[in-house]
Amino acid sequence: MKPIRIALTKGRLEKDTVALFERMGMDTTQVKEKGRRLILPVPDPWTPVRSIEVVLAKAADVITYVEHGVCDLGVVGKDTIAESGGSFYEVLDLGFGRCRFALAAPKGSDFFSGYQARTVASKYPGVSRAYFERKGMDVEIIRIEGSVELAPLLGLSDAIVDIVETGSTLRENGLEVVEEIMPISARLIVNMACMKLRKSEIEDLIGAMEHQL
Amino acid sequence: MKKNRRVTPEGMRDLLFEDCLARRKAESLLADLFMRRGFSEVMTPGMEYIDAFGTDIADDAALPAESMYKLTDQKGRLLVMRPDNTIPIARLTATRLKDAPLPVRLFYAQDVYRFNPGMTGRSDQEFQAGVELIGAAGERADMEMIALSAQALKDCGTENFRIEIGHAGVFSDLIHSLDADSDTREEIHALIESKSYAALGDLLDSLPDTEAARAVRRLPRLFGGEETLEEARTLCQGQEAQQALEHLSRLYRSLSALGLSEQVTIDLGLVHRREYYTGVIFRGYIAGSGDTVVSGGRYDTLLERFGRPLPAVGFGINVDAITRVMRGEGKIVPPSPPEILVYAQEGHEIEALRKLDELTGEGRLCEFGVLATLEDSLNYAARRHISQVFSVGETLEIYERVNKS
Repeated sequence: MKPIRIALTKGRLEKDTVALFERMGMDTTQVKEKGRRLILPVPDPWTPVRSIEVVLAKAADVITYVEHGVCDLGVVGKDTIAESGGSFYEVLDLGFGRCRFALAAPKGSDFFSGYQARTVASKYPGVSRAYFERKGMDVEIIRIEGSVELAPLLGLSDAIVDIVETGSTLRENGLEVVEEIMPISARLIVNMACMKLRKSEIEDLIGAMEHQL
Repeated sequence: MKKNRRVTPEGMRDLLFEDCLARRKAESLLADLFMRRGFSEVMTPGMEYIDAFGTDIADDAALPAESMYKLTDQKGRLLVMRPDNTIPIARLTATRLKDAPLPVRLFYAQDVYRFNPGMTGRSDQEFQAGVELIGAAGERADMEMIALSAQALKDCGTENFRIEIGHAGVFSDLIHSLDADSDTREEIHALIESKSYAALGDLLDSLPDTEAARAVRRLPRLFGGEETLEEARTLCQGQEAQQALEHLSRLYRSLSALGLSEQVTIDLGLVHRREYYTGVIFRGYIAGSGDTVVSGGRYDTLLERFGRPLPAVGFGINVDAITRVMRGEGKIVPPSPPEILVYAQEGHEIEALRKLDELTGEGRLCEFGVLATLEDSLNYAARRHISQVFSVGETLEIYERVNKS
């Protein structure tokens, strides 16, 4: 039987998940000394059948791999799930990688007043569109790839929708949070077919992870 | 439009050789099984009026308009490329089979078209084969359908599969006793379907803490064997839910007695996106495919939409997912080249064609040589791995291929 394969979002979520595996008593040496490898075994020295395989990928790709079932599970931020969606089971809030989606505008400006159509810049057009649809507002959304804070400073947009952690980047650029949209944290996702075909192994792993949170 | 001249539209693809063989094989295995079980084949048009699929928001059975390929007919009426097989068959049964003795057993094997987000590796055209048993209520019909879906997967050569069964009545009972508006109900539906435990919990925290809310919170985790039903009985006290659980329990026992206890599991969090299901719901998965392969259930109110209230149950199989697994496991042998190339010497074309007929009549795999010279024909045969060349003239000369390796 091939080991359960879990895709991790490279970077901070990867480190937090690896720390979680360590608390579960797993041997994560190979992930820590990975070099350039992207598929790494994580053996469980106490119960070898519980050994897993870790795949390192970019956030949106974690969802793609899990949706297609080439990885059984994945660890990805709620921000990516909210933006790209997809069909999979979202089974556990891992609690780390906490931040939030927020609408931010230049300090002192009143975003919601007046009748003029607003322009909003964001790296997350899907999340932004859904948010303004819920509010029943007709808003022009401009997709920006890099530092979104620039857009209102340069006069491209009236506000931004972005991930906010401490808010210090916003403050330093003269912006403030107008409204919080959604809390974000890392989630454990599972492919729908794998959940059925390897139920006991996967539930066992979810249980062990939940126990160490 | 020159730039699009040489490519297929996004979400559509060509099938070549082995892919076609795999499709034919799976289709014939399934059609054969369905016919042996007394089902008759129907084909519905590739396009239908959009009205059949419901454009009214209040309509429970409506398919999302953005998922359908739309076109217009000569009078400007809106048509869709067949987005689903069950709804057209319900229309056909209600209108064309009024005098047929009940129950009616129908099967189909045809494509459906749905928009998928681009660049996700999913095809917008999916070949489905399935059955509909119309005019039959009750457990026997449900049991037959689930057992038949298991048999269909077995016949396609998949040993490792799971079928999960649930019941629309459990969720419907709970959601109606929940103190929530229709938007919230819809959101809860989506969260349970995706087993989003965390988000579901957040949403339920904002509602009054009732027995129903606690049961809904637990619902996505209610999957497994018979013990799942025990737990659910204590959680869901409503009459509709209790009846649904009793029904599932009897089904589960019957299916276990049929030797499917390893394969069949209960999933009470199974709330299907297709809202026309009213009773038992089931889905099938096979090892090697991340997609849902079988999707079915009871839809007792669908035919009423077409003016003939009749209970019905059925399922569809995603044949493309099955053929992908067949191909992946190397179960499809590539088509072999012809054994004989029949070449006509100048002026002997008619005799050569006769020889071709004679050989194919004997069951030999032959190809007619269309190249002008014998030398070209021999070269061609070597490249195509055709083992013999019959040169038809005054006499018949046979050239055997010499293996150069």
